[in-house]
Amino acid sequence: MKKFLLGFATGVVVLMLGVVGYLELGLADVRADAIPSAFASRWMFSSVHASITRSVPADLKNPQPPDDDALIAGGKLYLNDCVGCHGAPGKPPSDFGATFYPPAPQLARDGTQYSEPQIFWIAKHGIRRTGMSAQASSYSDQKLWLLAGFISRITSLPPQVQAGLEEKAGAQK
Amino acid sequence: MKTLLLGFVAAFVVLPLAVLGYFRLGLAGVQSDATPPAWESQLMRSAVHASIRRSAAAIQAPPADNVEDAMVQGGKLYLNGCAGCHGEPGKPGEDLDHYPRVPQLPQSGTQYSEPELYWIVKHGIRHTAMSADGPFYSEKQLWAIANFLRRINNLPPGVLDRIQAKQSPGGSNN
Repeated sequence: MKKFLLGFATGVVVLMLGVVGYLELGLADVRADAIPSAFASRWMFSSVHASITRSVPADLKNPQPPDDDALIAGGKLYLNDCVGCHGAPGKPPSDFGATFYPPAPQLARDGTQYSEPQIFWIAKHGIRRTGMSAQASSYSDQKLWLLAGFISRITSLPPQVQAGLEEKAGAQK
Repeated sequence: MKTLLLGFVAAFVVLPLAVLGYFRLGLAGVQSDATPPAWESQLMRSAVHASIRRSAAAIQAPPADNVEDAMVQGGKLYLNGCAGCHGEPGKPGEDLDHYPRVPQLPQSGTQYSEPELYWIVKHGIRHTAMSADGPFYSEKQLWAIANFLRRINNLPPGVLDRIQAKQSPGGSNN
C-alpha cells in the first residue's frame, strides 16, 4: 500500500510538471484564428455551460415578464451594443464575432440555449477567457433584464415586435 | 516495484478524471468580473508569452521606408480600431469588465517585440477578448500598427500630434 501511494504521488508530480512544462515552453497554441481540437472546444463549452447552470441562482427571475414594448426596448439596446459581435436579426452573421476564439455566438441566427435568467447573469458578469465582458458597469439590472428578455426570444419574436424594431431603426436614419 | 508502477499509472487515470469532473460539475467559476487566483493568471500569462515568443521567432520586420511615417499610419489605425478597448493616448483607462483584463497600452506600453505584436494583431489570442484582425488589414498596415505599438508609451516628439491631427476635409495632406 505504501509503495502504491508513493507511485501515485510520483505520478501526480510528473503529470503536473508535464502540464506546466508544456505551457511554459510555449507549446500551447494561442492563435485565435486557428481551430483547436473538437475535444478541447467541446470540453470547454460544456464546462462553461455547467458553471453557468451552477452559478445562476434557481430563484432568479425577470421581475417584469416582457410585453411587446419591453421586447422592443431590449431589442434597441441589443442593436446598439451587441450586434457588432453577436449579429443583427435578418442580416448575415458578424464577421467580427468570428475573429475571436471562442467565436461570439451568432444569437440573431442561432438563438441560445440559455434561459432568460442565465442570459441576464452572463450579460451582467461576462464570461472569463472569452471576448464576453461584464456589462454591470454599463447597464442597470432593469436594462439587463430588458436585454435578456429580448435575447431569449430573439429567433421567435412576435411580428409586431419585429415591425417595432424596424420602425425604430428606420427612424434613426 | 509492481505496486509502485500501479500507483504511478493510477495517478495518470485519477488526475485527468478529477480535472474533467471538476469542470463538468461546473465548479470552475466563469464570470469575468471576478479575479481568479494569482497563480492561475501568472501561469496563463507566461504560457501565452512563451507561445507567442515561439510562434513569432522566425518573423522579421520588413524595413520601413520611413519609420516615423509608418508610426503615424499605425497610430491612426490604432485610434480607429484598437483604442476602444486598449485606451486612447493621454486618457487614463482601466478595464475591469474582461478577463483577462485588456492591457491599457498607452499607459503600460508592451514588452512584446515588433514581430510579436504583428503576429498578435494578425492572429489574435485564443481565450481572451483579442480578436484575429488579419482579415481587416494589409500586411503593410499590420506592420505599421506593430511599429506604433512598440513605442506607444514612448513616442518620438511630434508623432502623437501628427496622429491626432484631423485630416483636412479634402482628404489627405500629402
